Amino acid sequence: MRKIFPADLLARDERFVRLTTEQRFMDPRSPGSRSNPRGAMKLTPDRPDAPDAARALMHGIFVGEVQALEGAGRTCWDFETGDGGDETPFALKLDMARQCWDEARHCEISVKLSDWMGTELGEFSESTFLYEAACNPDPVLRLTGVNRALEGLAIDVFNTMKEFGDIAGDPVLEFCEDWMLADEVTHVKMGSDWLRRLTEKDPERRERALEFQRIVDKLFSLGGFRGEDDDSPIRLARRFRELAGFDKEEMDDLAEISREAKADADRMREQLVAEANA
Amino acid sequence: MTVSVTPENFTLVSYDAGEIASIIEELVGAIGLPSDLDVSIEVDESTPLGRASVTSISPLVISVESGALEDPKRPRNLSRTGSADVLGRLMFRVRDRLDPAFGDPPADNELTLPQSVAWDAYCVGRLVRLGYIHYDNRQRRLYHFRNRHGFTDSADEAFERLWTADGLSWSDIASLSDNAVGTAA
Repeated sequence: MRKIFPADLLARDERFVRLTTEQRFMDPRSPGSRSNPRGAMKLTPDRPDAPDAARALMHGIFVGEVQALEGAGRTCWDFETGDGGDETPFALKLDMARQCWDEARHCEISVKLSDWMGTELGEFSESTFLYEAACNPDPVLRLTGVNRALEGLAIDVFNTMKEFGDIAGDPVLEFCEDWMLADEVTHVKMGSDWLRRLTEKDPERRERALEFQRIVDKLFSLGGFRGEDDDSPIRLARRFRELAGFDKEEMDDLAEISREAKADADRMREQLVAEANA
Repeated sequence: MTVSVTPENFTLVSYDAGEIASIIEELVGAIGLPSDLDVSIEVDESTPLGRASVTSISPLVISVESGALEDPKRPRNLSRTGSADVLGRLMFRVRDRLDPAFGDPPADNELTLPQSVAWDAYCVGRLVRLGYIHYDNRQRRLYHFRNRHGFTDSADEAFERLWTADGLSWSDIASLSDNAVGTAA
């Protein structure tokens, strides 16, 4: 079986349609921009379109769980066992195997939640940039890109969805999100712990890994999708991130990265609109 | 019957005004709206959001944001079944409003969210029975209904009545909605 498996070869059936990162970002219409007259897009049950917004987000969570399973599985296989720079310790592989078990369970939960909310699998497009972050040839960069950046985002998303279920009075959504949230905190903690252990004597490698994490964090802030501003659909879950090994400075940086991502997206959209209207 | 679509040419999305007009023409006949109806549809292509509303009944004017007609799998491309789902729901409301036996519902912007969702369930249930199916409409509408009326057996019973009914009046819909909200409270 081959090592380092490219994203475009991931197995999907005919229900799924894949969207590239470029396609997603080159849409001149995206919401949440300065030109959006409705302004706030925070995900709360008060929004008339809240159930549909929650359905779409849940589908995004589902495909994210599939890719997280694929990514953790690759990390078990792609590297030889050992303590060298291009190897992974056996204990890390055990952690990744445990994570596979969690992600597989999350896939099952997400499928049932999608049924509950009236969403068919493949109803929305799939982006594979979660898996792409899991293809980095350095296992430490995978840990920061996936376990700390993306599983960290999962903490924010699950916490937001749990609160949504609580306020809406949806016990199924609330419980499912709460249980998955508990697992995500563990996954992020694994990333924090292994980052510290594997780079203890290699500060340059640690800095490279943290820089990769910042890049992934910015990409996944999706034009202000996740942040601490009032109109951020997904809120930064500081308390749960703290439990997972994030310090205050890191979380402040993340909030700033999200604001930068939003400003960048606004500028890009204005440029695209000007080009379309030229 | 005349159908006009604005804009005639789209620049930010790959929609075809002729295709949108053909969906409207088909729905007018299927839903049973007057054959001499003049319909105008205004599409705001500057936003991918999905709001859709009837802004006038005579002549019939429907305003939609481009996301309301969009294929969620293929951004900036039209979904024929999704468009029929959104436009058909609004056009069933218009048919109800034009029917004297239906009663006198409040203006759309004066409906409570639960009332609006209950009426939508009644409209989409009839639309699905006409063959306009867009993914799992029933479970989606049930989820909307539960979010506004509570996750209870009595809310589900009210939804089932709305979803399967034909010939309801506004007071029937309002009563089913109000009772479900009251039970949940």
